[in-house]
Amino acid sequence: MFRLHPGPLQAAVVLAVGFVLLRVVYRVLFGGVGGPGPVVVELPQLRLAGPFSHVTLLGEITAVGLGNAALSALPVAAVILIFGLLNAVIDVRRFFARGAGRGPLRAISRSLVIAWGTFPALLDSVRRVRVARQLRGERGAAALLVPVFEQTIERALALAASMETRGLAAGHPLAIHPFPGDVAHPVTMTDASLTFDGPWRLEGLSIKLTPGTLTVIAGPTGSGKSSLLHSLSGLFQHFHEGSQGGRIEVAGVDRQLTPPRDTATVVGVVSQNVRLAFAAETVHDEIGFALAVRGAASALVHERVLEVAARLAIEYLLARPIEALSAGEATLVAIAAALVGRPTLLLVDEPLADLDDAARERVCGVLDGLAHGTREAPVCVVVAEHNTAEFARVADAWLDIQGSRVLVRTADDRPTTPAARPLPSGGESESVVPLRQPPLRTAIETAAGLGQPLVDIRGLSVQLGAQTVVDDVSLGIRSGEIVALRGPNGAGKSSLLQAMALPSGPGTVLIAGQDVQSLTRRTRRHLVALVPENVDDLLFSTTVREECRRADRTRRVTTPTIQVFARLLGREAGPTLAALLDRHPRDLSAGERLCLVIAIQLAVAPALLLVDEPTRGLDPQARTLVGAALTRAADSTGAVIVATHDHDFAARVATTTIRMEAARIVPVLVSH
Amino acid sequence: MLGAGSLLAAAAFAWPFAVSAVPADAQAAVPFVAFALVPALIVALALTLDREMYTAKTVALLGVLSAIGAAVRIAGTGVGGVEAVFVLLILAGRAYGARFGFLLGLLTIAVSSLLWGGFGPWTPFQMFACAWVGAGAGLLPRMRPGLARRPRLEIALLVGYGIAASYLFGLVMNLWFWPFAVGGGTDISYSADAAPGQNLASFALYSLVTSTLTWDTVRAVTTAVGLVLVGPAVLAALRRAKLSPR
Repeated sequence: MFRLHPGPLQAAVVLAVGFVLLRVVYRVLFGGVGGPGPVVVELPQLRLAGPFSHVTLLGEITAVGLGNAALSALPVAAVILIFGLLNAVIDVRRFFARGAGRGPLRAISRSLVIAWGTFPALLDSVRRVRVARQLRGERGAAALLVPVFEQTIERALALAASMETRGLAAGHPLAIHPFPGDVAHPVTMTDASLTFDGPWRLEGLSIKLTPGTLTVIAGPTGSGKSSLLHSLSGLFQHFHEGSQGGRIEVAGVDRQLTPPRDTATVVGVVSQNVRLAFAAETVHDEIGFALAVRGAASALVHERVLEVAARLAIEYLLARPIEALSAGEATLVAIAAALVGRPTLLLVDEPLADLDDAARERVCGVLDGLAHGTREAPVCVVVAEHNTAEFARVADAWLDIQGSRVLVRTADDRPTTPAARPLPSGGESESVVPLRQPPLRTAIETAAGLGQPLVDIRGLSVQLGAQTVVDDVSLGIRSGEIVALRGPNGAGKSSLLQAMALPSGPGTVLIAGQDVQSLTRRTRRHLVALVPENVDDLLFSTTVREECRRADRTRRVTTPTIQVFARLLGREAGPTLAALLDRHPRDLSAGERLCLVIAIQLAVAPALLLVDEPTRGLDPQARTLVGAALTRAADSTGAVIVATHDHDFAARVATTTIRMEAARIVPVLVSH
Repeated sequence: MLGAGSLLAAAAFAWPFAVSAVPADAQAAVPFVAFALVPALIVALALTLDREMYTAKTVALLGVLSAIGAAVRIAGTGVGGVEAVFVLLILAGRAYGARFGFLLGLLTIAVSSLLWGGFGPWTPFQMFACAWVGAGAGLLPRMRPGLARRPRLEIALLVGYGIAASYLFGLVMNLWFWPFAVGGGTDISYSADAAPGQNLASFALYSLVTSTLTWDTVRAVTTAVGLVLVGPAVLAALRRAKLSPR
C-alpha cells in the first residue's frame, strides 16, 4: 500500500512552479501587479471595449505587486505539492487489485487490473508491428497504429472469453461448492444443429460422451472444430453469436439457456491462444482466477491452486510472472486454470499448435492422465485438434467433421483428412515423399560453398540482452533450393531469419552479391522478404483488396498482388474470389491469411523468401497449399528458407535441411 | 442516472456562475461544495454503471482500451495539448454507445493518472470532461440505412463532433479552474459580487488567452487529423468485436 516513488513528487514540483509563474503572467497581462513601492516597468494601459469594458490590459508593474502575485498563488501550489507527495507515497493500484474480486466496484477494478496487464502486451505489440512495418517496406505512425489496435482488441476478446468461461459475473457468485451437475452425462447432444450468418453449418448432431474419456474433434481448418467445441462451452451460443437448434445438454444443464459463466465450475475451457487469455499477473493468481473471481476466500484459493499444480506437476511454476513461461508451460498453466474448479468436462482448443515435440508429448500425457487417471475423479476431455497423430494412442473416440456432418469414429478408426489437391509432384498426402530429388549433401557442405551461392551469410550473430540467440552462423544457399530450418523451441531460428531480412548486428548477409545491410528499405525488399511467424502483424488494412492494393502501391511489383494471392489459393477470378477480396483480412482462415501475407511478400519477386513456421495451425489441405506455394516461389524467384517444427512438411517440401540448436548451426547427417 | 449525474456535475463545473443563485451567507461554501460534489458524483455514477457493465466482454474491452488511451495520453504529454486520446474516446463512444464512452473517459484518465502519479483535485474534473467527450460521441445520430454504405460521411460527422468537443473540453476545464488560476486582483478575476455578465466576459477573455487559441486549436486539429487517418480502420476493428451498444 505504501512505497516511495519520487516521480510524482518531481512532477508536482514542476507543476507548482509552473502554476506560480502562470499566475504572475496573468496578473501582468491583466493589470494586477500595481501597488506601492518602486515601479519596475511602466507599460502602456490598454482599455478594452464592448462587453470587456471592465478590463484593462498591462499597466505599471511594481516589485511589491509581483511579489503579491506570486504569494497569492502559493496556497494552490501547496495543494499541488501535497497531492504530489501523496501520490509519491501511496500505491493506489493496490486498492483496485483488491476490489477486482468482489465489492461494488468490481467491474471497474477488474478493468483497471486488465489495463495494467495490457501495458507490457501493448509495448510488445508495438515492437513487433514495427518490425513488420520494416518487413513490408512501409513507413509512418498511422500504419503502426491500426495493427497494434487490432491486436489489442483481439487480446480483449480472448481475455473476455476466458474470463466468461471462468465465471466472471456469474449469476450465483458464491458457487464454490456448486451443484455438481449430472456428472454421469457430461455431454448429450440431441439432433442439434449449429449455424452462423454465413453458409457454414453443422447438422444432425446426436452425440453422447461419458466421464473418463478423451474425444478429439478433427477436421480441416475452417470446418468448425472450434465452433463445435464451443457449442459445449456455451461461447458459441452466448459469446460468438452463433445459433443453435435441437438440444445440447452439458452435465444436465441446457446449454442454450445457460451462459458459460454459470457453468464455470462444471466446464473447464482452455482457449486456443492461451497467452492472450491470461487475466492475472502471476501463475498462482492465474490458476486461482476462477475461484477468486467468484469471491472465494484466499486460503481456499491457495489450497486448490496447490492441489491442481501438484496434479499436473507444475508446482515449480507457481511463483513465476505470467510472461515468463515457455509455450508448453503456458499451455499447462492454462489447463491447470481450467481445472481449478474441479470440472466434469474439460474442453481444449488446439493445444498443440505452438509446441515443439517435447512439449506436445507432455501436454498429450497430461490430457491422457486427466481422462484415464485413476487417482482423481475422471474428467470427460474434449480436444479440438487437427494434429490427430499425436492423440492416436490416447483418444477414445473421434468426432470427424465432414462438410456439415459429424462422423463419430471409434478409437482405432483415426480420421486422416486427405489433402484435397495433391502436391505438384503427385506425392501421396500421408506418406513422406520428397518433392524433388535434392543433391545428397549436408548443411555444412552447403556452408562450405559449392559454386556461386545465391545467398552468402558470414558470421551472423544476434544479441538479445545478455543472451546470444544467434551465434556466428555462416551459410550458403543456391538458387532454386528450399531449405528447412529445424530445431527445438528457443534455438534461435526466428532470430536468424529476422537477422537475414533486417540485418543490423555483426556479420554480413550477401544476396546476389549485394550486402543487405547497406540497402534502403525499398531495394532491400527486392532481395529478401520475410513472412514472420505471426503473420497478422503484416496486415494493415480493412479489406483483402485494399491490403493487396497497398502492397502494389508501396513498390514496383512484377505481378499485381491480387493475382499472386489468387494463384497461391488456386482460385480463378470470379464471384467467390471477389467475395473473399471484400472480407476483412483478419476474418480469413489461418491458411488463407498465410497465403495473403506470402502473396504480399512475394509481390516484388524477392531473390530470397524466408518463412517462419508456415504450417502452424494448418490442416493437411492448407499445408499442401502452402507447400505448393513455396515450391513455386523457389522455382520462379530464387531460394526459400522455411523454419518449421513440422517433420512431414519439411520432408516433403525441402531440398536441404539445416538444424539449429542453442543458437548455432549443427551438422545434419540425414539429407532426404 | 447518467443524465442526472452529469447535470449535477455540470453545475459543479460552473460554480463560479452559480454562486449568485445561492443565499449570501452560504456563498463562501460554494467552491468547497463544488469540489466535493464532483468526486462524489464520480463514485456514485461508477457504482451504478458498474453493475450494468459487469460482463466479461465489456470489462475486457474497457480494460484494454483504457490502457491504449492512457498510453496515448502519456506519450502525448510532452507535446502539450496534443491529446490524441480524443480520437479513441470518440470512436469507442460511437461504436459502443454513450455509457461505454462515458466509462472509458473516466477510466482512461484514472489509468493515466495512476501510471503517471498525477492524482489531484483536478483529476475528477478531467475525468468528467473526458467522459462527456466519449458519451457525446455515443449520442450522435445513427447513420440512416441508405447512408450506411458511405463510411466517409460518418467520419465527417465524427470530425465535426471532434472539433466541437475539443473546444468545449477546453472551455469546461477552464471554467472551474479560472478563479484559482488568476486569483483575485486582476481585471479578469472572478468576483463573487459582480454581475454575471461581467464575470462571463472576464471568463471569455481568460479562456481565449489560456487555451482556446492555443491548446484547444492544436487539440482540435490533432483530433480531426487522427479521426481521418485511423478512424475507418479503428471503427471497423471495434465493430468486429461485436459489443452491442447499450
